Amino acid sequence: MSEKLTQRTAWNRVLDKLSGRSLWMLHYCTGCGAIELPPTMTGRFDMERFGIHPMVTPRQADILLITGYLSVKTLKRVILTYEQMQSPKWVVGFGSCTINGGMYWNSYATVKSLDQYMPVELYIAGCMPRPEAIISSFNELIDRIGRGEANSWKDYYENYDFYRKNQEHVFGGPINTRTDVKSDKETFRIQSAGK
Amino acid sequence: MSTVSLVLWIIFLPFIAYFLGVLLLGWGKKYTARLQRRYGPYLFQVFFDSIKLLRKRTNISHGWMQDVSVLMLLGGTILTMYFVPFPGFHFFSQYGDFLVVMYLILVPSLGMALGVGETANPNGSIGISRALQMLAGYDIPFALAFIGMAMIHGSTNFYELILRQQELGIAGWGIVTNPFLGIAALFALHGMMGEKPFEVVIAPHEIATGPMTEMGGKYMGMMMITHALQVVVELTIFINLFLGGAENWITYIIKIFALFTIILSVNAVFGRFRVDDAVRFFWKIPLPLAVIGVIFVMI
Repeated sequence: MSEKLTQRTAWNRVLDKLSGRSLWMLHYCTGCGAIELPPTMTGRFDMERFGIHPMVTPRQADILLITGYLSVKTLKRVILTYEQMQSPKWVVGFGSCTINGGMYWNSYATVKSLDQYMPVELYIAGCMPRPEAIISSFNELIDRIGRGEANSWKDYYENYDFYRKNQEHVFGGPINTRTDVKSDKETFRIQSAGK
Repeated sequence: MSTVSLVLWIIFLPFIAYFLGVLLLGWGKKYTARLQRRYGPYLFQVFFDSIKLLRKRTNISHGWMQDVSVLMLLGGTILTMYFVPFPGFHFFSQYGDFLVVMYLILVPSLGMALGVGETANPNGSIGISRALQMLAGYDIPFALAFIGMAMIHGSTNFYELILRQQELGIAGWGIVTNPFLGIAALFALHGMMGEKPFEVVIAPHEIATGPMTEMGGKYMGMMMITHALQVVVELTIFINLFLGGAENWITYIIKIFALFTIILSVNAVFGRFRVDDAVRFFWKIPLPLAVIGVIFVMI
């Protein structure tokens, strides 16, 4: 992509920095890793001091945190949720299950690698990661947003066919998510920033 | 008031009120966090939230009523604000008295109800029906409290009420001259602001975020701005009615922060009522208090 799109004006630099200070997180807790989230949110580690707040509806959320393994059945729900979120949006894979299947590697019912089905901005390694790791990864995400580099969400609009093919492969047939990603790309003029 | 200063007030009052609202809500978040032994978010968190939401790239609209509803929310709130006297600005309050404010304050709720109705989200509909039920709870004590104050001072004009209260100093404040009405209105204000235990409308996690469930991106950004303005307007109405208004911006800021802190302290230690419990509470305690207050005035 052209040079022009990767350059940010001073005004956008300031706004990027400011919007990184507010992140609303939708946590999809099917895996055991969810147990590490309450201490992260509450008194001891207090995620809210970085402006990260749990949000209950996908329409308003910025981060989709996948805590742990996804079975084929729950993956469909995650895709529905992800497509309902408003861009810019970021997926954070939590724990080794989302990276390579982890201890469920041999399972017939779980998906191995999350980034085959939706663009993942960050992975948090570990089984399971401690609250310190979660907070340090969120700080990394905030830094990337401030630098204007957190553009993984554009990948879903760019390479929609790739993701949809993988999704349909694992479901064994076409799925209807009721979100027209391709027309959204046209309507909201989302262009890839170039890698 | 000269034309130039009037125009400047009309232009800059929403910005001043927004700044004040952001500070109030930020202070609220910080204060609640400290009571819960947390560090708490940034002081300007609400401002960052609005910036982020307004910069969202995609939007899902369910129809033109939803688009209009956020404008009705913001416009209705700003219009209400002009009729409420602020220190140094009471131009419109001589043309529209408290009854106009009571009428205008419903415009944002109406806009929200219409917009949410179009999104057809069940959580949103539950939130709206709860909001209307709560209205039946807190609006009657609040209206009675105002009628009592108008009977004491013989005027429905905000500015005259303030001047009458300020004649006697603290002894003339509405909450001192008639504590029954003051306390009833304080309860009603608590319900109007939707703080816990009357948090039944938004009810996070219970019905998602209630009326806002389907509002994402820029819609939500406009709603955040409106919320910051609404907090200021509602607190200012109470200050004008029962705390003697404000002579200048310093006393005004002291009063508004003190009043909000009282509400936050209750908010921090309570859980959430069910909607029927909340309405029952309003009809059991603030309503009789307001009636007693009005009877005292009539005697």
